[in-house]
Amino acid sequence: MKQVFRLFKNSYRLFWNDKVSVLLTFIVPLVLMTIFGSIFGGSSSGPNGIRLAVLNQSSAPIAKSIESSLDTMKSFLIIKSFTDDSGKVLSFDTLSIQDYIRNGKASAALILPPDAFADTSMGLHVKFYYDPKNDVEMQTIQGLIQQVVFSQFPTIIMQSGLRQAERFLGIQSGIAFNHNMASIVHKYFHVDTNLILHPKLSDLKITHSDSAKSGVDFFKNVVRIESHQLVGKEVKNPWATRSVGGWAMTFLLFTLTASSSSLFEDRKSGVLLRLLTSPVSRVHILWSKYLFNMSLGIIQLLFMFLSGWFMFQIDIFSNFFNLILIIIAASTACTAFGMLLAAFSQTRQQAQGLGTLFILSMSSIGGAWFPINFMPATIQFISKLTVVYWSMDGFLEVLWRDVGLVSILPHLGILFGMAAIINYISVRRFKKGHIFD
Amino acid sequence: MAMINIQQITKKYTTIVALDAVTLEVRQQEFFGLLGPNGAGKTTLMNLLVGYLNTDSGTITIDNDKVTQDSLEVRKKIGFVPQSLALYDELTAQENLEVFGRMFDIPRKLLKKRIENRLHAVELYERRKDKVKTFSGGMKRRLNIIASLLHDPNVLLCDEPTVGVDPQSRNAIFDFLTSLNKQGKTIIYTTHYMEEAERLCSRIGIIDHGKIIALGSTDTLLEQLTYEETITINKNPLTVKNKKVFEKFGILLEEDNYFELKPANGFILSKFFTDLENQGIQYSWVELHRPTLEALFLQLTGRRLRD
Repeated sequence: MKQVFRLFKNSYRLFWNDKVSVLLTFIVPLVLMTIFGSIFGGSSSGPNGIRLAVLNQSSAPIAKSIESSLDTMKSFLIIKSFTDDSGKVLSFDTLSIQDYIRNGKASAALILPPDAFADTSMGLHVKFYYDPKNDVEMQTIQGLIQQVVFSQFPTIIMQSGLRQAERFLGIQSGIAFNHNMASIVHKYFHVDTNLILHPKLSDLKITHSDSAKSGVDFFKNVVRIESHQLVGKEVKNPWATRSVGGWAMTFLLFTLTASSSSLFEDRKSGVLLRLLTSPVSRVHILWSKYLFNMSLGIIQLLFMFLSGWFMFQIDIFSNFFNLILIIIAASTACTAFGMLLAAFSQTRQQAQGLGTLFILSMSSIGGAWFPINFMPATIQFISKLTVVYWSMDGFLEVLWRDVGLVSILPHLGILFGMAAIINYISVRRFKKGHIFD
Repeated sequence: MAMINIQQITKKYTTIVALDAVTLEVRQQEFFGLLGPNGAGKTTLMNLLVGYLNTDSGTITIDNDKVTQDSLEVRKKIGFVPQSLALYDELTAQENLEVFGRMFDIPRKLLKKRIENRLHAVELYERRKDKVKTFSGGMKRRLNIIASLLHDPNVLLCDEPTVGVDPQSRNAIFDFLTSLNKQGKTIIYTTHYMEEAERLCSRIGIIDHGKIIALGSTDTLLEQLTYEETITINKNPLTVKNKKVFEKFGILLEEDNYFELKPANGFILSKFFTDLENQGIQYSWVELHRPTLEALFLQLTGRRLRD
């Protein structure tokens, strides 16, 4: 153990003397994070399978139509029931659907309440509950829901008008008035008069017509969407809090890959040979590298989160203990990844080339740069096999949702588990590889 | 008494046999030279001696301790000077020595004292706080050697420690190693420079294609030669024209400015000079020399040492 500690200490001395490494570890990420943060906007291409909880309490055909329309959209994975603690599958109610969002099982919920399209009221009323842990994803969800709901606008306005006419003018006069109104709606909104006067669920086909879209802003008041943010309301800087984990992970992987491949430099210079001809074993060297890289990763992550706190007021201290746990788990797993690259590469250049490739891929599919819901279902599945996904999700749980230790146990377990598996493969490979020969 | 005992060791790299059943004993306080061309197996043998590699078969003991990759304790008895400059360029000379010295569990105070002594011995004390990357090749080589001596080993293994060194630094290294040997260290010194082996080593092993092909002191080895002297002849139009006359008397090597003749069995010096006289070649163009280990290597392998 003494030898490991000495090597570990020496690694720090070497690191500190290499100013380029220090610069790459701390300054470059900080500068890039600031620049990208200030210019990064949203993306709106091709969402797929976004989890949306839906509760339809209304018997109105329009509500049914909205529900069935959501069911058919590939952008959404509609969830209408949940499994309780005893394993029983239950339909949502107004409270359980909100808990579902609070627990992070879906990003948003849409409730069509019993009075969504009441006889006595004018227009449609829906409730929208959300957790904006991912800004781009939330904008997309809101846009898609608005599109679906507002595409019903001609029917909503006409149905509401007909009912009000019948209510105030009496049945006979109302029918005459309704026919006239139907003709006018038909003329300007190209909606079939039969559909307006005798609506049936099967006839209510949702089309995102130009006329519907153009009416969205103008008739906003006719469709009332009551929004409630359930999570993250108290977060001071939502953008920074949401994105710091992604950036931190990307740069952590770059640092650790570069650092792990320093074994190649040691081999090239002959230092590895000198060390291995002193009372130092291969295992001592591997563990010292591992400990150095892991601690460097922890320091880098801490540095980045502290910078986020200082520059963007990200609240890292209210759940600091759990944040530290995720930082340690993320560093452990990322270090294992770096060692794996070193174990399978023949040269430092090869390790760094492979590293860049894997890091960029893992960061993008792991959700570091944009929501994973924007990717095909297969990639979304692969995403959950990456260190980036679980680390980022862990950071979000801690910083955004302010959860306790129990909630992050799965993240810790998966990250440490990944590290253990990757390390096992690496050690086996190091034994067979050329780095020590 | 044998300090280093190598018994029937074989080492292969895939299909290439780097060492083939090598057996060798090196006595205590001996300065032993391992002479051979590049690729002969010298470095592989050193890597096995120091426990960096494991043998495929055979055993090595140093001071009665078996050497393997897993035997860390025996390494405390060995100082290894690798062929490459195994130093951290970004650290100072003193920091390098501290790092490598600490690996041997040397107490801090003692280590500090030894570092000072060793730095003085190789005249690097004044540069101890400079980064190694600012050192000349010769200075790095000297530092490379003392980095292997901080734990005061009984055995020093030097794998071509003067590669790329200027003559002045080389002489300083030779003097330093000789003084270490006089202090009682057993030294194995690999080289492909016969002059180095002849100057430093009391006993020499010649290695080629993974086998020890000759072993003994310089004089003993040279006794194996079929002749007692080599002959050099200055190159000029007349001697070039008569090249074939010289070839009748043995193996003729052509250098830039002269021919070198290794006389064949049954060589008669008077007959040789008579033939030269007949061709009009002056005696002053011809010199007789004591043969070198290079000549022995040529006789044993048919190749020159540096081919």
